[in-house]
Amino acid sequence: MSGAHRAAAGARDTTTRSDVPPVEVDGVSVAFGAIKALNDVSFTVAPGTIHAVIGPNGAGKSTLFNVLSGVYRATAGEVRFGDARLSAMRPFQIAGVGVARAFQNIALSGAQTVAENLMLGRHHLTKAGFLSSGLRLPRATREGRVHGERIREIAEFLDLGDKLHTPVGVLSYGDQKRVEVARALCIEPRLLLLDEPVAGMNAQETDRMADSIREIRAALGISVILVEHDMGMVMSLADRVTVLDFGRRIADGTPAQVQSDPEVIRAYLGSGTEDNPADAVAAAHTPEPTERQP
Amino acid sequence: MSDTLSAPAGATRRTPSADASGPARSPMRFLKPLLLVAALVVLLVLPLYVEEFWLRTGFAVAGAIVGAIGLNLLVGTTGQLSLAHAFFLAVGAVSYTYISGESGGLGTRASLRGLELPPIVGMVVGVLLAGVAGLLFSPIAARLRGIYLGVASLGLVFIGVHVLNTWTPVTGGFNGRSVPEFSLFGFTFGNSDPQLFVLGVPYREAERLWYLGIVLALAAYLFARNLLRSRPGRALQTLRDSEVAASVMGVNVQAYKARVFLVSSMYAGLSGVMYALSIGSIAPESFGLTVSILYLAMIVLGGLGSVAGAALGAAFVTALPLVFQQFADVLPLVSAPGEGGISAGIAARYLFGLAIVLVILFEPGGLAGFANRFRHRGRRPGRGSPGASPRSSGGPSPGAGPGTTVPSDPPAQGSSTR
Repeated sequence: MSGAHRAAAGARDTTTRSDVPPVEVDGVSVAFGAIKALNDVSFTVAPGTIHAVIGPNGAGKSTLFNVLSGVYRATAGEVRFGDARLSAMRPFQIAGVGVARAFQNIALSGAQTVAENLMLGRHHLTKAGFLSSGLRLPRATREGRVHGERIREIAEFLDLGDKLHTPVGVLSYGDQKRVEVARALCIEPRLLLLDEPVAGMNAQETDRMADSIREIRAALGISVILVEHDMGMVMSLADRVTVLDFGRRIADGTPAQVQSDPEVIRAYLGSGTEDNPADAVAAAHTPEPTERQP
Repeated sequence: MSDTLSAPAGATRRTPSADASGPARSPMRFLKPLLLVAALVVLLVLPLYVEEFWLRTGFAVAGAIVGAIGLNLLVGTTGQLSLAHAFFLAVGAVSYTYISGESGGLGTRASLRGLELPPIVGMVVGVLLAGVAGLLFSPIAARLRGIYLGVASLGLVFIGVHVLNTWTPVTGGFNGRSVPEFSLFGFTFGNSDPQLFVLGVPYREAERLWYLGIVLALAAYLFARNLLRSRPGRALQTLRDSEVAASVMGVNVQAYKARVFLVSSMYAGLSGVMYALSIGSIAPESFGLTVSILYLAMIVLGGLGSVAGAALGAAFVTALPLVFQQFADVLPLVSAPGEGGISAGIAARYLFGLAIVLVILFEPGGLAGFANRFRHRGRRPGRGSPGASPRSSGGPSPGAGPGTTVPSDPPAQGSSTR
């Protein structure tokens, strides 16, 4: 389960797509009034890797994701994805350069079917406008058909093939989480942002999702940035881990390095004055989450 | 996991089994087109059999259907509350009257002006001008939502009524002005010119407008339905459910809000032209706040977000007062104008109020939701009906209305692994 082993295994069966550039987060700060949600955070995501961002509640993980996807503007610093300066772009433009995000709190349209939700992921790949759609011009219907096939492929990959025409609202929670990921994949991303993909899932669903994420990386050769509380999953899945605490980056390295970092242990378990440091290290290695969501 | 996923390689591979066209086919699928054709035939032959009152009501309903579908695209589908619909109706109606009307005025005033262009030009330009008005307002609309947009749009109604009252040469002022007959390539939708008899029945204004209403309402219905089932419609519905999600998925939220406002106000413009034709004159009180609210009542009663629901709601709200008036002498409590008791319009409004309260309490999906529930009950034994999955234990209950189905706070289950 060591990160080094996982990285080696990943390198063996993965062919990184040639058009996936590194993600460079460079000195990003975000301030809400006097509160600095992110303070001079920098890290780099190597192409084709799974990069986890962890940290206690309020560490700034979600803020970071909102900056990466353009929902928040960074007050200082910038985010680059190859030639694209994500920090200067609006969210829909960021989707256009192949950055897809799956939301933590499921943000699907419950009344629409799985297929319709997935088709939204094709929005930037399709062109049909109000007029051609309303008049059902041949190019609009052809477009829908061609992209419908790819939707089906992606849905089957995530075991949603038989639920394509089911309204999302009646699916189980685990299924809805997988629709979130499938919708992000429908963007045909070069960078996939997963915001707590297994939050609230049971052990079996968590394993299934972890397998899916490995397969996505292996089959598509894309980069994945992952925010997750489930330490067992993070340590087994990630190639590299960035740890945030109170908006600052306190550690960055392989899972093994991060797990033994005294600063990380302090952030998760307290100052440790009365603790034996060895116990704290052992605790950090256990797969049990060291904190829970409110 | 045996399925594999491949990177998209230019053109996607065609698989014969791939079929994303729709849910399971059942006998209903074949029955439905037949029923639709039958209904259309009935509508087409109706003028041969029914009185003028029903045909006139039918055309008024058709106009309201167009307007309600347009408002529903904005409010029901996109979640943008607008109280300005009456304003855009007025833009369409006044533009038509001015562009196709005669100078010198029909009767009351000599100071009226008109361009005397063919009515079809008046109709098209009226729709376009309403669209332009919507587009001018859309920068505001794109930045506001919910009740704030509602209040901002309210201002347009007051501006509209003021302009109608004061811009006498164009609008006829507070007396209003009469509306030119519609005609298409020399065929007048009036009482004569040419004289027309079908199977011995004289086809006069009411009969002719009836067909015009069917064509326009049907076109408006089909356009909106196609729109909602395709790329822009999905974007608009997601925008309603979560603006952040829509933008992160690649939807230019502000541009889409502006476009839906444009489309909605063009629908309103056409509806305004039809209203003017149906009444035969325009006056300021026809485009007040009450009209905006009646249109909201139509789409809430019919079912927010449903095109067919908007049509049903429009028919209900428009026809009810007319029918009450027609049958005032036989209905209990309802009286003819000028007598004691409740007038037809007031009685109809009591009924709308009651209906809206009942709909919101018992069927938030409106008349469309009611029809849907009925339909699903009919084919429950079949496969593919929503909510049939026995594994949907964690999800919310099936059949809940739109907007209520996404759990925001998932149950915290143990997240331990291995």
